[in-house]
Parts: sequence; structure tokens; C-alpha cells
Amino acid sequence: MSAFAVQARKYRRQFSGMTAYFIQRTTGLVLLVYLFLHVHTIRELAGGPAAFNAALARFHSPLFKLLEIALFGTVILHALNGVRITLLDLGAAQGSQRRLFWALAIGLGGVIFLAGAIPLFLNAVLRS
Amino acid sequence: MRRNAISWWLQRITGALLVVLLAAHFWVEHFMSAELRRGDLSFEAIHSRIANPVWQFIDIAFLLVALWHGLNGLRNIVLDYSRVGRRAAQAVTLALIAAGAVWAWWGISAFRNL
Amino acid sequence: MAVPQGEETYRIRIARSAANGIGRGVQEFEVALEDRMTVLDALFRIQREQDASLSFRCACRVGMCGTCAMSVDGVPRLACKTGVRTLDARTVHIAPLPNLPVVKDLVISLEPFFDQWKRVQPKFRPRDPNSTELARIPETSAHARNTPGKRDCITCGACFAACGVKSTSGEYLGPAAINKAYLRLMDPRDTAVDARLAVLDDERAGVWRCHTQFNCTAVCPKSISLTDSIARLKRAMLFPRFEKL
Repeated sequence: MSAFAVQARKYRRQFSGMTAYFIQRTTGLVLLVYLFLHVHTIRELAGGPAAFNAALARFHSPLFKLLEIALFGTVILHALNGVRITLLDLGAAQGSQRRLFWALAIGLGGVIFLAGAIPLFLNAVLRS
Repeated sequence: MRRNAISWWLQRITGALLVVLLAAHFWVEHFMSAELRRGDLSFEAIHSRIANPVWQFIDIAFLLVALWHGLNGLRNIVLDYSRVGRRAAQAVTLALIAAGAVWAWWGISAFRNL
Repeated sequence: MAVPQGEETYRIRIARSAANGIGRGVQEFEVALEDRMTVLDALFRIQREQDASLSFRCACRVGMCGTCAMSVDGVPRLACKTGVRTLDARTVHIAPLPNLPVVKDLVISLEPFFDQWKRVQPKFRPRDPNSTELARIPETSAHARNTPGKRDCITCGACFAACGVKSTSGEYLGPAAINKAYLRLMDPRDTAVDARLAVLDDERAGVWRCHTQFNCTAVCPKSISLTDSIARLKRAMLFPRFEKL
């Protein structure tokens, strides 16, 4: 059984450090891809108002609104877990890295996510 | 003893910077004016800000910091695989630097014609 | 062998292989739970009563030597310190430690582990090997303050096996070797600083490959905060300064 199987097993609670690592890498890659797409869209500015607004019109569909919310969640996870990692790297809270993960990345992250996602979602629903 | 250590610290420093920059960016793009708060994202809604060189400077700085953080992260993923030999890893580093430069220019030139 | 009625029976599924790890497969055995039975006890029962060809290593049986480290339900643990009753279910999965070459059944070779161990120059290197003076280490020194919980490594290999980075990088030193280097660098009597820093700073092998997964800390049978040792070294690498006598 590989080390990945170690993480996937029923001792998941013990190995939340590994879960955090996977989340950080995955969300990081997703955000890199997003950055590429974002710069691509912003470049439409140079085409003037018509071109830019046309490009933005693509993002009014329900699928994109959902993706927007997913992006928001991705950013929150990566940012808060990143803060956790930085704290650990600085020597703080080495003994409570698991609690820090659940409290920060999931707990606080969950709160911020809902605070942002619900208005985003309602906005999308109301305007469609 | 320095280069890798500096890189390690920078990943965390840029990360912290990005949290602030991103929060600010989110506020600026979605909450700064009534239009934006309504969700009316359009050329007109952002033009006055985006034509201002000060804001352009901030946005470009944000992009460069994000690029450094993201591409350095990618580099670290590659370094974790010993299947990728030392020569190949050096090539990957150069490729990422080149990609970063192109990407940065790609982003900076978004503000042409404004 | 028929199991008497009323006894708790455990199904032990063991990942087996012929010499050099070829011909892998899982073989299942049934063992009646005995009082305070450890995984090691169960393995001996199987070997003595059911299949004498089952290979595994052990020595002290009391958690001091680290020889019986193996994967129990996916987690690297000492077989002699793992109570069968403490496991989650009646089916137990036993496999050789991952990230290490399999010799046969549950026996692995620790050669990759000790190859990395040797790279940090684990031997103590005093300034003057012929000195007869007693070297006094102040209680206030970094060595006295920061190393007490870190000295108990029994080189069992559990951390090496659990490390997610070790599963993709044969070059990475691994937690035990880095912890050993940390101990030597913290020792004010030891002078081999530069050689150790060179390997610790290596882009592929050194401390920078650690991504704070904490698997090592979670599985260490001696509860050493390995990730903490590695983190301290990472911080020190920018301006390395280790007090020396």
C-alpha cells in the first residue's frame, strides 16, 4: 500500500495534514489555470467597449455563476490553508496542526465561503 | 545556503501579499461602486479606474506577485518527482521563467489602447 | 485450524510476496483473539500454526528496536506495539512498509533509509577527537532546550514509509535523516556544519522537499515532532548559525 493509500484510509482524521497538502496543490493548480483564463479575458479590454462587454456576456450563464462560486471556494481554501502552513512554518502551533486545519481552512473558510457564495448565488438567481 | 531559503520565504511572503491583494481586488471589482455592487460588470463600469496608471501599476504588481507564487509552486511540484532528473528539472525551471515572462507581458499588454 | 466457539476471530489479510517482492498477493488467515494480543503476536500464531513460510522481522518485542515496523491498515506502525483489539475492524490489513524495497512478505530492506541517513553524516564530529576535556553544554543552549524530545529515534523507518514526498522522490532525505542532522547541528560540540548544511540545502534532497504533510509526526512510534525539526532547519537555512563550543 502506497503512502497515498495511507492517507485515503480510515485513519483520515490522523492524516489531515496530508489532506491539507492535497487541497493546497490541487487548488493551486486550479488557480493557475484560472489566472490564465482571467488574463485572457482582461485582454479584451484593448478591443474597446463592444469587444470587452461581449466577452463578459459569456459569464452571465448559470454555469459560469456556479463556476464563480466554485472559484471563490477554491481561493478561500488555498488562502486559509496557506495561512495555516505559514503559521506552522514560522513555528507557531506545530502541536495543533490538525485543529488549525479544521478551524481555519474548513471552519473559518466555510463561514467566509457562505458569506460570499450565498449573495453570489442569490444575485445570479435573481438576475436570470 | 541562500537561494533555496529565499525562494521558500518568498513563497510565503508572496502568499501573504496575495491574500491582501486579492481581498482588495475583490472589493475594488465588486463593491467599490454602485454599478459593481449590482453586478454590472462592463467596460464602462471599470474604465475610469482601469485607465488610471496608478491602478494599472497596482494590477500589474498583483499579476507579477501571483505569477511568481503560482509558477514557483508548479516548480516545486516538479522537483518532488525524482523521476524528473536534475537536467530536466533545470530545463523546467528555465521553461517556467520563460512562461512567466511571456505571461507577464501578456497581462501587462492588456492595458494597451486604454 | 478450527476456531473454538465464542472466541473473537480476526481475519488477517497479509500482503505476501516471494523473494525480492515478485509474485505479490494477499493471503488471508484467521486468528482467535488472545488477551492483549499484538499484531506481532498474531503473526507468530500464523507462522507457527498455519504457515511457516510467512516472513517478518522482529527483535525486542517491546517497542525499543524498531525492527517490526510494518503497514497495519495502511499506517506504518510497530507490530509489537499495536494491539489487535485497538484496530477499527475484525479484518486487519498487513503489508510491508511502503517506499522501501520488499525482500519477502513483510520483510523490507532498509538500505534506502540508511543511504539517506548516511548522507547527513550522522556520526558525531568533535573539534578535537583526541581531547580529554569534558565538554560542558549549558542548560541554556539550543541543544539543551530544543532537542530533548528529538533524540529517541530508533530508525524504524515508519516516517520514511509514511512520507508522501518519499513516495515520489527517491532523492529526498526523509524525516529521520533530517532530524538526525538537526540533532548534530544543535550539538555545540559537533563541528561538521558545512557538510550537513550542503545536503540539507539541496534542492531535490534537502529540507525544501518537505511540505508539512505531518505523516511522519503522526506515525513516529517515539512521538518525535519530526516536522518541527525540519521546520526549524528550514527557518535556520537563511542565516545558518549554530552555536559551537
